[in-house]
Amino acid sequence: MLPFSQRNGILEQKPRERDNPVAHFWRKTLLPAVAEDEAHIRQGRFQRSMALLAGASSILAGLEVSYEHYRGSYGQKVMWTPVILSGAMTVAGIFGFFSKWAARTLLRWTSAVTLLDSLAGFYFHVRGIARKPGGWRLPVANIIMGPPIFAPLLFGVSAYLGLIASFLRPEEAPKFGLFRGLLRILSARNSGRKPSPWTVELPSGRFQKHLAAATVLSAFFSGFEALYSHYKNNFRYKAQWSPVIIAPALMTAATMSIKSPKAARAWLPAMSILAILDGGVGFFYHARGVLRRPGGLKKPIYNIVYGPPIFAPLLFAACGVLGLLTCLMRRER
Amino acid sequence: MQTIEFPMRRYSESEEIDYLIVGVGSAGGVLLQRLARAGFKVVGIEAGPFWDTERDWVSDEVGSHQLYWEDLRITGGKNPLTLGANNCGKGVGGGSVHWAAFTPRFHPSDFEVYTRDGVGADWPISYWELKPYYELLELEMPVAGPPWYPWGDPHSYAFGPHPMGGVGNTLVRGCTNLGIGVSVGGPVAILSGSRGKRPHCIYRGYCIQGCKVGAKASTLITHVPDALAKGAEIRDRSMVSHIYHDRKTNRVTGVSYLDQDGTEHFQKAKAIIVSGYAIETPRLLLNSACDGHENGLANSSDTVGRYLMAQAGNVILGRFDEPVRMYKAPPAHALTEEFYETDPNRDFARGFAIQTVGPLPIAFATQMMAARGCWGWGLRRIMMDYNHWSAFGLLGEILPWPGNRVTLAEETDQFGLRVAHVNFDLYDNDKKLIEFGKEKVEQVMRAAGATEIVQEARYAHLVGAARMGKDPATSVVDGFGRTHDIANLFVCDGSILPTQGSANPGLTIQALAARTADYLISQGTKIFNSDKRDMTSPPVRRELSPPGTHGTGVPRLR
Amino acid sequence: MDTLHDPSSDGRETRRPADPKTGKSLPPLGQPGYYPGFSTLNQQKFWDAATRERVLRRVNDVPPIRFFNPEEARLMKMLAAHIVPQDDRQPSRRIPIVPRIDERLHQGRIPGYRFSTMPPDGNAYRLGFEAIEKMAKQSYGRPFQELSWRAQDELLKSIHDAEPKEGAEEIWKQMPVHRYWALLVQDCVEAYYAHPWAWDEIGFGGPAYPRAYIRLEHGEPEPWEVKERRYEWMAPADSVSDPKGPDVAAHSEHPAHGQGGTH
Ligand SMILES: Cc1cc2nc3c(=O)[nH]c(=O)nc-3n(C[C@H](O)[C@H](O)[C@H](O)COP(=O)(O)OP(=O)(O)OC[C@H]3O[C@@H](n4cnc5c(N)ncnc54)[C@H](O)[C@@H]3O)c2cc1C
Repeated sequence: MLPFSQRNGILEQKPRERDNPVAHFWRKTLLPAVAEDEAHIRQGRFQRSMALLAGASSILAGLEVSYEHYRGSYGQKVMWTPVILSGAMTVAGIFGFFSKWAARTLLRWTSAVTLLDSLAGFYFHVRGIARKPGGWRLPVANIIMGPPIFAPLLFGVSAYLGLIASFLRPEEAPKFGLFRGLLRILSARNSGRKPSPWTVELPSGRFQKHLAAATVLSAFFSGFEALYSHYKNNFRYKAQWSPVIIAPALMTAATMSIKSPKAARAWLPAMSILAILDGGVGFFYHARGVLRRPGGLKKPIYNIVYGPPIFAPLLFAACGVLGLLTCLMRRER
Repeated sequence: MQTIEFPMRRYSESEEIDYLIVGVGSAGGVLLQRLARAGFKVVGIEAGPFWDTERDWVSDEVGSHQLYWEDLRITGGKNPLTLGANNCGKGVGGGSVHWAAFTPRFHPSDFEVYTRDGVGADWPISYWELKPYYELLELEMPVAGPPWYPWGDPHSYAFGPHPMGGVGNTLVRGCTNLGIGVSVGGPVAILSGSRGKRPHCIYRGYCIQGCKVGAKASTLITHVPDALAKGAEIRDRSMVSHIYHDRKTNRVTGVSYLDQDGTEHFQKAKAIIVSGYAIETPRLLLNSACDGHENGLANSSDTVGRYLMAQAGNVILGRFDEPVRMYKAPPAHALTEEFYETDPNRDFARGFAIQTVGPLPIAFATQMMAARGCWGWGLRRIMMDYNHWSAFGLLGEILPWPGNRVTLAEETDQFGLRVAHVNFDLYDNDKKLIEFGKEKVEQVMRAAGATEIVQEARYAHLVGAARMGKDPATSVVDGFGRTHDIANLFVCDGSILPTQGSANPGLTIQALAARTADYLISQGTKIFNSDKRDMTSPPVRRELSPPGTHGTGVPRLR
Repeated sequence: MDTLHDPSSDGRETRRPADPKTGKSLPPLGQPGYYPGFSTLNQQKFWDAATRERVLRRVNDVPPIRFFNPEEARLMKMLAAHIVPQDDRQPSRRIPIVPRIDERLHQGRIPGYRFSTMPPDGNAYRLGFEAIEKMAKQSYGRPFQELSWRAQDELLKSIHDAEPKEGAEEIWKQMPVHRYWALLVQDCVEAYYAHPWAWDEIGFGGPAYPRAYIRLEHGEPEPWEVKERRYEWMAPADSVSDPKGPDVAAHSEHPAHGQGGTH
């Protein structure tokens, strides 16, 4: 039930006689573009969009981490590292968009460092919980009120995307003249590759299982955060249950996709779309929640920092995007 | 959590130490740390115990009485102050152990009240002289607060604001509904993020029962450990009874003190700093009367004990239909200083602040007893509604009056020392200010959605009673805390404040202590062997901060 | 049951709160209040050792009467039963009040001050007893203990109002009546609301270290707290201590020896 491949079928129909402009745009521009993109993804030719995706999700993660760490008052100096690295990731992602070379060097190394930093962050957060009064003997209270335990790993997911991007092949020359020219110049220096799973399977788009596993993990991190922060809020609104239910569903679907190609075609996209929609709805509720707090927009900084985390639902939606991407991949041999 | 992992240096009683500090409280702790770090031989003598916080402190209202100065004092006048738990600490850390830790700065106008409004007094120093020390102490404690604080001299905080509990939310809602600016999540000397091994706040609400977590700043955890590591000595459970004075040289020579068994000791010192707070400091000076100082030590101006101030601390309580559960989160977490300054449209000088307070059940019950006349079944009924109430505190500036003073009562304490008698009256300006302020707080409470509002009159924070000033005829100490009468006797604590503004005094007291320490250090041995007064301002010594002070937190905007 | 800390051993029907709809007395409860089933003591494993020890001692060890003589103790018990009535509690779940006050006076603990117009606390209690007996004799012709519950309540209310019934003018000259009343109520309140059973009654979370709170806003209960379940009740017919609206005492400026949760 891949939505895109169905549309592929439509593509081959002949255009009707009289087209309204919308339908024309749909058939002539959008569908071919989508089909082309899908083909690119299936072939692992989407380095540029992946680099951009990694960069964009780093902006989100960076914003989130900078205000979360502001809540923690940057009381420890290491708390600056993810803020700096998320900026670096964004820059590297943009460079990676323009240049295969940059994607393979700058983006790769920045992502690797960021990934390490997120692991270190995980350690510091675990230690932070341990250092709270009662430490791990009071896991519920201290996980909820201490540093968010999985947030660093969730941050690591965007680094992971960057790492993947660095191993992909770029899409064909972009449609915009300026970019095309730039890209031509830059990609002129194409280096020879040594064969390895990362350099052979990834660049040819064969890493569905791999991505499915990543989806499972990120849905877990994000869902766990939703669980404890909504629990902290005593599930005041029924809607607060939705990510807590959808996250395991998405995780299950993604896990099944590792085993079964069918699941990857049927369940995973359905659950991913659900997660994306839920993230969107969550974003709306969180934004509304911020406005409804005492003082509302008259206290913008305070209410954004201490209101419902507005970016968190978007990060949850990002897990859905990752799931959708997984559906489009070819499986490893 | 407080543990001392190093052996403490011990001086012998016959050894003449450099500085002897009476009382290791808010000011005493900072002085001790600075002077020790600068290499002086310094001993702090503290009437209360050296706390082992995990063993000695409890998460319980009644169980925390030991933190307060609960020895006898007599209180009188037309508006007598309740003392004890309401005002004074006892034990290493002093009042900073049980303070709520609200830490706003004073405004520049506070330093020139007389010049501006023709009431009260001017300070011998300006805000700008104290400002660097505000900035320093805000890092040393550190103070958590909003990224922009608009009142007085606008500034920002390096540590981020705290999340709100129920009381904070009602204050923010009430203020914003009325278009009144409000500071959210601080300024309060409680860690909003961990620093080093000090964990951040867990929002348990027992701030004034002593912070077992170690998140709330007290000099016991911020300055005393460094002081001891640098060679200072603290003699706890030792009550200083007398300061000795040599008539020939007109210099003080040492103190006698009584240890916990009642044994008397004598300690020689080259200079003495009294940091016993606004009642014990004048009491000690008055009790140390001697030949040449018959009215009390350093009291040629007859101002020792006078100009005692407390802030109007009326508590306004409001009932909400929705539960509030005000026992969660620190009592100190939001405030407004919108009404701080003199407003020519009002018929009184100076102003007030509105702050959150979060009374625990016994405190709430006694407030209801006063505010609503509760007893019997009515009391039981109101108490069953505890979770529906929220409470704001007025913090109003009461002016310094000569008649509000500490004198010696005829009665004596367990050591045979005459106890303090405190007289307190309100004057016209004070009464008008309180009436206006009360009404304003009630408006805010109503705007927040309260359906029933009651109030209790009370007072908070003591300062004054050994005030500083330029004129030796009308003040006890000069701008650095040195008594006008005796060149090696200093006073450094809340009692030297000439006026009090409507900001909680703790931060200012500690900032003044850091400034006095810088002065003493820059004067070097001149303090010990010369009677000359050099009034040049010392350089600000950031390097004397306790380790770990600099380099954490966010860069400040201003 | 130690008679000394059972404030009203007879527990008459009419002294219990009633259901306003039926007018019938409510049965005595193990735990009155709107938080049925909430128990702070059940959470004691989440408290620190020092606090646990202190609170458990409060629950388990009731100090003996040492300051008051038996007669004073009996009178004091009656006063406490009016100031913090506990007839809605099952006898085994009543909170001892007089032993706490006695302990404080016996140890000579004071709150850190004395009003210049007041005698030392112990003397104040004794003067107060004397005044109450004199007022009872003068106004009702009988000792306080023999008065009806309602008459006792009214006599105490006259002290609360700072308009004491006749008979003890000399004593009130030595001791301001409103200060005496505050001393009395304050001590009773401090004994009652220091007890974990009282915390359960009012839905207060109790000690909170090392585990504190996760739900700070909107009055949400912690996972281990319970949601409020209100019920209507009216004070017993023969009591006058529960007026409809606020009943502000003559002096809203009361001495309060708690720290008042103040800034
Ligand atoms: C409930 C409460 C809440 C408060 N909240 C705030 C707040 O939120 N913000 C704020 O800024 N302020 C607050 N305060 C006030 C603040 O605690 C005091 O203003 C401040 O601690 C005074 O500092 P100090 O150094 O002058 O005296 P202290 O800190 O009181 O130190 C004096 C020390 O000297 C010792 N001492 C006295 N006499 C002798 C003697 N003869 N011999 C030996 N030792 C002696 C005492 O035991 C004590 O330890 C609060 C006070 C109370 C009671």
